[in-house]
This record gives sequence, C-alpha cells and structure tokens, in this order.
Amino acid sequence: MCSDLDRTPRTLLVCDRSSFLDEKNRVSPQVEKLHFNHKVSVLLPGCSVTPSNLDLVMNTFSSFYLIKKLPVHELLDPGLQGAINQGVVYGLSFGTRIDEDTCVALMPKGRLVLSLDKDSYELLGVEGKPSRFNHRTCSRFVVSVDLTDSSMAPGGRGHTRLLTGLRSHLQLQTDFLLSHHPEGGASLQPLLSRYDWSKHEPEVSCRHLTDLTCPDFRSCDCHSLLEWIGAVEADISCESSSSSFLSSFTCPEPNDVLSHALSVSICGLLLPHDVQRLIQELRCHLQQTQLESWASLTVHGFIDSPVSWGDNEHGVLSGGENFYNLLMFPDHTYHLHLATGAYDTCPP
Amino acid sequence: GPDPIGSSGFHRTVLKNGSPYCYMKVCLVLQDQETRLNAVELKSLIITGLKDLHGEVGAALPFDVLKFDEGSLTAVLRVCSGGLVKLWSSLTLQGYYQSQACAFRVLQVSRFNL
Repeated sequence: MCSDLDRTPRTLLVCDRSSFLDEKNRVSPQVEKLHFNHKVSVLLPGCSVTPSNLDLVMNTFSSFYLIKKLPVHELLDPGLQGAINQGVVYGLSFGTRIDEDTCVALMPKGRLVLSLDKDSYELLGVEGKPSRFNHRTCSRFVVSVDLTDSSMAPGGRGHTRLLTGLRSHLQLQTDFLLSHHPEGGASLQPLLSRYDWSKHEPEVSCRHLTDLTCPDFRSCDCHSLLEWIGAVEADISCESSSSSFLSSFTCPEPNDVLSHALSVSICGLLLPHDVQRLIQELRCHLQQTQLESWASLTVHGFIDSPVSWGDNEHGVLSGGENFYNLLMFPDHTYHLHLATGAYDTCPP
Repeated sequence: GPDPIGSSGFHRTVLKNGSPYCYMKVCLVLQDQETRLNAVELKSLIITGLKDLHGEVGAALPFDVLKFDEGSLTAVLRVCSGGLVKLWSSLTLQGYYQSQACAFRVLQVSRFNL
C-alpha cells in the first residue's frame, strides 16, 4: 500500500549539449519533427524592448485557420491532394481530448493519423493498431495512413475504403486547426469555402522583467534549470525565503540579479519552419551582445495531439508533456532539453 | 560534473523520472462564489485535508504554493514526487471550506514546471 502511494507519473528528459557548429548537432531536424506547436516562449536577458529583428520574426509567424465542424473525409478531397503531396499542410483537431475523444492529425509529409476509441475504430473499418496508452483493456486504437501512397490516390482501394469509413460509417466531424507553408494557401481555398472558418494570427505577448534573479547555467542541474525557466514564464516569484510558510521555492544557487529581461510568448498553431527562423534570429542577436549572455527558447507541443515527435504516438497519461527548451550562448554552444511522457517514444 | 561551455562534441543524457518534484495546477470551486481567500488560507485548507485523509504524517507533507490567483482561486502547487498521490487524493476528497461545500478541480499535473 505504501509503495502505491509513492508512485508518480513517469517522464523522460533528454539533455543534449553541443554546438551549432558541430556537424553532429541535430537541432534543426529535432525542431522540424515536432510538427504541432501551440506555444513558443522566449526569455532574453538584458533587454527592455524586443530587438527589431526578433520583433519582426515573432510577428510574422504563419497564420492559421480554425474550421468548425469539418467532416474529416474532406481531407481526402482531390483538390487538397496537391498541397498534401508538396508537404505544406499541417492540421490538428481542435477541442478534442486525446484520452476521450477522436483526435485527428494531418502531418506535413501527408500522413493522416486518427486516434479513436474502440467503437469508432470498429465503425471506421480501416486497419489500425492498438494504442500504446491502453491501460488494462484495449480501448483506443490508432489508424495511420500515408495519403501520398499510390493506394491512397483518388479511386484507389485504400482511398475508397477510408473515404467510405469517414463519410458513411463513422461520419466523423470535428473542429479543425489548419496551417500551411506560404505556397500551400491557394489549394486550401476550395475547402474553406465550403465550411464555417476563421483566420487567426498567432498571439504575441511581451513582459518586461526587472531585477530577475537568474541561476548560473554552468553549475545548475537540468531539472532546477527547467523549473526556474518555468517559474519565470508563469510569473512565479523566486523571492520567497526557504523558510516561508507558503513556498520554499527559491532560485538555484549560485545566482545573480539581472536588471532587465524580456519574456515573450507566441500562441497558436505554430509551424516548425517559423521556429527555425526564430532560432536563427536569436543566434544573430547573441552574436551582437555581451559574452556572458544567453537566450532561452521553449516550444510546447499540444497536450492532446495524437503524435509528438515525427509520427510517434503521443498520449496524455497525466501530464501530456511534449516540449523542448533550447538554451543558446554567444559561442554557438547550446543546451537542449526535450521532455515527454513515459510511454511516448524517446525524442529524436 | 557539467562540461564547460565551449567544449566541442555532442553529449546526450537521458533521464527517466529524474524530476524531484511534481507540479499541480488546481482551482478551488466554492459553493458561495463570492467567497475569497488568500494564499495562506488556501495552504491551511490543503494541510487540513491532508491531515483528515492521511493523518499527522500526511499533514507534515511539505508542498509549496508557487502561485495563487485570488480572483480565479487558481493555484500552482509543487510537491515532492513521492507525495503526489497523497496530495492529489486529499484534494479530491476535500469537501468543505469552513461551513460551505467546496471542490478542488485538478486542471493539470506535470513533472515539469514548464
């Protein structure tokens, strides 16, 4: 009994340390693989206003659409096939919970992933696999289809079967977030014209912080570091003494006080290539600042996305974490922390 | 120890269940929606709940109220990983604040503060 009370949700944290100049560094493919990002946060020491190059990048993240009650079979429409084959369309069901509802993800390489409960899976009639997140009984299934495969061309056997399943048997309909690279916009218009949709710009908010106690990153362990970054982003005070009644949380020692810092967050359906642009600009910014400077970038995936990195299955367990934090320094070195839940596949 | 910044090469460490803490975002729902309480009262309420369910040992479980918004009665709590089940269970079963019915809604639980 006592050992049961000590059980906690299991997680995985990968810590990479390398340099952008090292040929083995994999930051770019790692960023690219987390397809669905809902929040990007940046922490910049020594700034009281956003530098103009960063301000430009942050305010030019791709816009996205929210389509209400989209019948999922529309994603198989021939009109969309061109954009899907080009690999420029990203889509995710909105307002669906990964442990209770049917969740849908359309990945840029043309893979369509459906996470379904048992009844919906049986109604759909398309082959899938049991979810890795099943508890005792097999109650969730994942159907993963490569829409660029020859059998999925309109009229092909696989295409007809999935279309019939989505349109007639299951009649799956969901609110859907859709985004695209700039070249994919035109092919989405016919789809949008048929349904109730709204266009959204990612929401950018800035906070200017003063007298921020900041740990020494060289000697700080990764959990304390991530805890501190999380505290700054959530506006949690590090000022209480360790003997305070309310909270014993303090900034890790040794620490220093920064007179100014900037915390920026961007929320929406955010694409990896916009995150890549932001990383490049942050690196440029660091080249122009003092030697002891740094920049922190945190990218959060969607808790309810059916996929995390690549096309690996994602589940919520109790936390649903899939995020990474990139801490960059002026000498091109970086610390990258990738976190995910226990049953998720190890990040790349 | 950690490598000095500037050394070349690629180093990867994989940590399983390494986080010493769990974080909970909770919201207190009260029968009388006009009632307000401060962070100290919230912490005392949670300690009472821990004592009711888990006794004196439970009441001694250290946890932190990292943040509390008095308007929405939403708090971020931090507890050592081994104490999560005790804390979560006592929040679930906390039924009364002073003389009115209440309930804690657990909005999010994570091993990471981010």
